[in-house]
Amino acid sequence: VSQRAEQRWWIAGTTAPAVLFLALVAYLPILYAVGLSFAKKTAFSPVTTFSGLRNYRLIFEEPDLWNAVWRSVVFTVGAVAVQLVLGLVAALLLNQAFRGQTFVRSIFVLPYLLPTIVVALVFQWLLNQEYGVLNQILMQVGLLARPINFLGGLDTAMWSVIATSGWQYGSFATLLILARLQAINPKLYEAARVSGAGPLRCFWDVTLPQLRTTLVLVALLRGIWMFNKFDTIWLMTHGGPLKATETLPIYAYRLAFEDFDFGMAAAVCSVMFLLLVAGAVVYFKVFDPSREVEVGR
Amino acid sequence: MTQRRGITRRSFVTAAAGAALAPQILVRGAYGQDKNRVVFVSEESNPKAIAVYEKINADFEKDTGIKVTMEYPGFANIAKRVATLIAAGTPPEIVWYGAGQAMNLALENQLTDVGDLVKALKVPDNQRMIFKGADRSIPTSQQFVYGWARGDLLKEKKLDAPKGWDDYLKVAKALTDAPKMYGCIVPSAETGASTLLLETMFMKNNVHWFDWNAGKKEYEVSLDKGDNRKRAIETLDYLNELHKFSPEASNYNWGELMSTYVAEKAATSWYVGARLLEQVNANNARIADATVPFELPRKLTDHYYLSIQGFHILEKSNVEGAKKYVRYFMEHPSLIGWYHAVPLHIIPASRDMLRSSKYQDNPVIQKRMDVLKFIDSVWGKGVPLYYWDGKELNPYIGLYHNENLAGWMLAARNIKGMKSDAVVTEAAEQVRKKMRRAG
Repeated sequence: VSQRAEQRWWIAGTTAPAVLFLALVAYLPILYAVGLSFAKKTAFSPVTTFSGLRNYRLIFEEPDLWNAVWRSVVFTVGAVAVQLVLGLVAALLLNQAFRGQTFVRSIFVLPYLLPTIVVALVFQWLLNQEYGVLNQILMQVGLLARPINFLGGLDTAMWSVIATSGWQYGSFATLLILARLQAINPKLYEAARVSGAGPLRCFWDVTLPQLRTTLVLVALLRGIWMFNKFDTIWLMTHGGPLKATETLPIYAYRLAFEDFDFGMAAAVCSVMFLLLVAGAVVYFKVFDPSREVEVGR
Repeated sequence: MTQRRGITRRSFVTAAAGAALAPQILVRGAYGQDKNRVVFVSEESNPKAIAVYEKINADFEKDTGIKVTMEYPGFANIAKRVATLIAAGTPPEIVWYGAGQAMNLALENQLTDVGDLVKALKVPDNQRMIFKGADRSIPTSQQFVYGWARGDLLKEKKLDAPKGWDDYLKVAKALTDAPKMYGCIVPSAETGASTLLLETMFMKNNVHWFDWNAGKKEYEVSLDKGDNRKRAIETLDYLNELHKFSPEASNYNWGELMSTYVAEKAATSWYVGARLLEQVNANNARIADATVPFELPRKLTDHYYLSIQGFHILEKSNVEGAKKYVRYFMEHPSLIGWYHAVPLHIIPASRDMLRSSKYQDNPVIQKRMDVLKFIDSVWGKGVPLYYWDGKELNPYIGLYHNENLAGWMLAARNIKGMKSDAVVTEAAEQVRKKMRRAG
């Protein structure tokens, strides 16, 4: 057996378990869902009947799908923007030398470690119209005459879930940005200062370009996760009021477990999958991650 | 000379697929064929009810050799759990939950004929669920939709519990001191609570979603037609007026109906059964004695939404074992403990049982005999949704009920401010569209 063949067998043997595992837990369910999207399948019957493009025709006819796509985009862009801004500000602060730095840094990571159910319940309590802490404070200081229905208001519900997700996952951005900040060569700042740059100019001309790769990476990762986000929204608003927070995952869930139409729900999931794939393709085309990493070094 | 057979790619894939599928097939085969096993999925997961199940199941296994495996997915998840088990080809033997939910199974021919048990257990006619000429449900208990009010506050304002729509509005207005106290709760969200309120108030005003077409022998949407339309609009406008004395409630569901009342933020509320009273007893005993039941006010009828729960036995399961178990359960001396798990909330299917000293021999019931008398006084006026529009079982109720369309109607009227006329038109169209989609 040639050395090359042996090497091939070795590679195949060592990667096979991971590939098999990936196929079982990731690709097989995707294939099953795509297959189901071409079938008529209700929840209470084991029978599955091929129905061609019927499910896709039905969901594309409905304004519900396009409305859900739009809300997903609003939620994703909003939540990612809050996370990036929070993460950047927090990372810049935590990058300064001060007493108790380690302790404060660990406090900042805490929201990311909390289970979503805990975060959702805490924010439900904070934002509650009748007995919420936020309304109570705003009324006590005289900023409000009547409490605001944060989670039940048509205009406020989406912002409430965006703020909650922004708070919870902002610390993920903080971690990555802080790590990158600490890796920036101090000589770059020295050179900028010698050239007469003030703190703002240093931030604009040194820090931000150095953070570009990290910010893009965080935006991509968080964007994908937020686009698929189900738990926070479901726990806080159930997609309401009047579908004001019904994003694509909530829409798919409703089709599956309120309409009990698994075929249509699978069609929505397939559309979601394609949208994310399209997003990833655009990302790889526009940003070329390998080049970004080179630049970042 | 023997020739060694190499493993080809095809034989490898075939063997692997076979190995993967074999346990699945064996497991599927084992279900339903195992005469000594019954899988029972129950919605009721109260610890006291679970203790009764455990006692009865142990006795059943001792007497018959059949082991009962329990699952308690809870109210919110039971439909999903049952769907998963059916989709996996491993249907449970018994599901205990609302007959309205079980209707979804009947429509897919998943429920077996239980006429023999219905006859043997002397189930009252108005609680039967008949599909394709056969009984599909064995009722154990029921829950009525009715109101709860702070008797002390009514007395303070020299008011009686409301009887008609105008009374209710007057009471709600008099008891409101927003935002500290609201006179009523009109949940206006796409939730079960909002849905049941509108469905009950529709019944009170004789509004029907469907009419039976005797010629075609099928139900047709009639919500937006003739008098129905007028009455539906009137009901929505009335609830919009009432909503002015309610919290905005745009995200209210069952929990909020109870917590807002228990926290003394609402002077009246309503619920399906007496669980609200249980919560008051547990969390705010100060107002427990002052909490009194009242019938949600009538306009044209005294009917209300009736929820019937019972056993449902699935086809392609161990039907014989399941039937044996249900009969054993219903005749077991511990059954009374099951009814007492949430006293006055789980109402027996039989009025004789309700009036029996055995049922009334419970400290909570003894203390609140007024509630029992109230339940007795409204007995028989409730109608399950699937028989509201006619004598034939209406197979289409899931199209609006499962999706909380009535909740959407209340939210569209009270939160979005849509005109009732437009809300009724859109709701009827949505149901028609779903009927077309369902084929």
